[in-house]
Amino acid sequence: MKKRLLTTGIAAMSLMVSAMPVYAEGSPTEVTLWHYFDASADAQAIVEWVDEYNSLQSDIHINCTYVSREELMNQYTIGALSGELPDIGMVDSPDMASYISLGVFEDITSQLEEWGELDQFYEGPLSSCMDSEGKLYGLPQNTNCLALACNMDVLAEAGYDHVPASLDEFKEMVAATTNADNDVYGFAMCCISTEEGTFQLLPWLRSELNGESVNVDNLTAESAINGLTVLGDFVANGYMSKECVNWTQADAFNQFAAGKAALAEVGTWHLAQTDTIGDAFKYEFCMLPTGDAGTSTSTIGGENFGICSGAENIEGCVDFLKWLCSKEKEGEWAVTAGKIPTRQDATADYTYEQEGFQVFVDEMNFAQARGPHAEWPTISEAVYTASQSVFVDGTAPADALAAAMEKITPIVEETPLP
Amino acid sequence: MRKRSLSMAARKSREAYCFIIPAFIYMLLVLGYPLIYNIVLSFKNVNVKNLTKGGAIFVGFQNYIDLFQNDTFVLVLKNTFIFTIACLVFQFTIGFALAMFFYQKFRLSGPVRGLLLVSYMIPMSVTGLLGKNIFSNAGLVNNLLGKFGVSGPEWLVNTSTALIAVIIMNCWVGIPFNMLLLISGLSSISPEVYESASIDGANWGQRFLHITIPLMKGSMLSVLMLGFIYTFRAFDLMYIMTAGGPLNSTDVLGTYSYMLSFTQYEFSKGSAVAMVLFVCLFIVGLFYLRLLSKEDD
Repeated sequence: MKKRLLTTGIAAMSLMVSAMPVYAEGSPTEVTLWHYFDASADAQAIVEWVDEYNSLQSDIHINCTYVSREELMNQYTIGALSGELPDIGMVDSPDMASYISLGVFEDITSQLEEWGELDQFYEGPLSSCMDSEGKLYGLPQNTNCLALACNMDVLAEAGYDHVPASLDEFKEMVAATTNADNDVYGFAMCCISTEEGTFQLLPWLRSELNGESVNVDNLTAESAINGLTVLGDFVANGYMSKECVNWTQADAFNQFAAGKAALAEVGTWHLAQTDTIGDAFKYEFCMLPTGDAGTSTSTIGGENFGICSGAENIEGCVDFLKWLCSKEKEGEWAVTAGKIPTRQDATADYTYEQEGFQVFVDEMNFAQARGPHAEWPTISEAVYTASQSVFVDGTAPADALAAAMEKITPIVEETPLP
Repeated sequence: MRKRSLSMAARKSREAYCFIIPAFIYMLLVLGYPLIYNIVLSFKNVNVKNLTKGGAIFVGFQNYIDLFQNDTFVLVLKNTFIFTIACLVFQFTIGFALAMFFYQKFRLSGPVRGLLLVSYMIPMSVTGLLGKNIFSNAGLVNNLLGKFGVSGPEWLVNTSTALIAVIIMNCWVGIPFNMLLLISGLSSISPEVYESASIDGANWGQRFLHITIPLMKGSMLSVLMLGFIYTFRAFDLMYIMTAGGPLNSTDVLGTYSYMLSFTQYEFSKGSAVAMVLFVCLFIVGLFYLRLLSKEDD
């Protein structure tokens, strides 16, 4: 009887133990990662890469969740108060300063400095992960910039066999390639009333004129007024559709791909979408001719990853960031997603559009960051509103930029731009 | 005896309170808390710099004063009222006309009525994208106008026409909704009333003015009030179609509050805009309740 009781007891204990979840020492911490990669290539890649990392170590187990960009930004803002944040979060580089200020991300300066590879990152993208005191809250995972896409067939019809080499030649080409009868505009860009619009407008406002260029804290300077005047004249003369005020960057690229724009301001990621053009026409890329001959300006874009406040296993999450932004992985990601690595030592062996990528890599030398500034969204709103008032209402560029400076000046006086 | 009946009444009243308490607690948590939080937020100066670090101070009515001195907010408020009133007028008038038409019994009345509801069933985000394409410079509307030799305007680009395009798209969704509710109202009128009026010699106009309109008063009021509340807090249509632009010409209180809170992180100012939206809707709600109680009397 005793033996039967003992056997039953042992069996019951075994059953209980086997039914209990295993939290033995060494079992990985469950970690959540939120991202907004939605292009087929990068959306698939992030899932595969996370699976790969999960199989490489046993400290953390990452669960990857897609959240649309807008919703993700809202969740960060709400999470800053409620504490409901993921462990690892992706963020658009110009927005990171605001979220750092909101307390969304953890200070991981010491862990990253110990790593010893920070000097390999390009300064612009890395600075977007810092606060005003230089503390680091994440790593830039990919970067991109803007350049000019040219329809060489249309240019040839207008008598040009090369891409524009200066602002004057660019203006000439835009005028010569506009064909109102066929609804073909000389130039297309995105000037929508969101951060996308500011991203594309900034190269013109920060262009170089007579050896001088300014940042957004001095938009009443002659060079900024000249940059906006060039674009305003395009719209006023019918060389650029007024609809640019409602176009996203995808819309502007689609105008180019559909042959409705001879020249267009496009981003690095569009290189992965040139298959939509196919053999319809010959195209080339060149640096944005925004100012004095031989000069160019562009804007740095890209995505950062940070460790969110309250993350359970910060060390494990930082290790993942180091792996994700390692020399090899940076090069691999750039090819997969059509972006530029954020590290100088990373090599991206692009299997497509190699010449195009080289233009963007060269353009990175002239690309400038947005901010970083906690109140960048307000500065950005002032920039696109000023430009829209020129395009839509015909306001003089000098007056529009003076109105923008009324909003920007108090902000940068309190916390100057870096 | 009197004492006993009183205690019974008191017991009944206690029981009634017991039934109300769960709903009251639910309302307090789900509606009361966010509302009070929002009111408090609108009287402080919470922004990106002090949301989590602390240091936000009570600023009284300063956010409201700033808003009403801000030209953009005044434009946004004006847009909201123009959008709401224009949508209500067109949706209600056309919806009523269609309801009267489809209330008649004729072949295919049901299927055509069902087809009209398609626009109401489409998600607003899709309607926004459709609107963006239909009203683009080379879109369907300008194409059709071109066939009649009319050069269409740049609908979504001009500050004077962008709101009109958004109003048209909203009416496209709202008309079937109005029609549906008004048909239910029409169905509740007994056909005998019309029959006896016809026997007495009343013509179509007299029957409409003296029977349909008075007996439909309740339904019409409900449709108008619900329509006002639904339209006044519009957000997704303009957010997708124009992002509030160009130059805030299609910004309404909903989109402006969202932009201030979630794009510029001016949380207190965003809350103040939301409070203005709430107060406007609250007044309309009170007005509606008062009219309903008058109807009951």
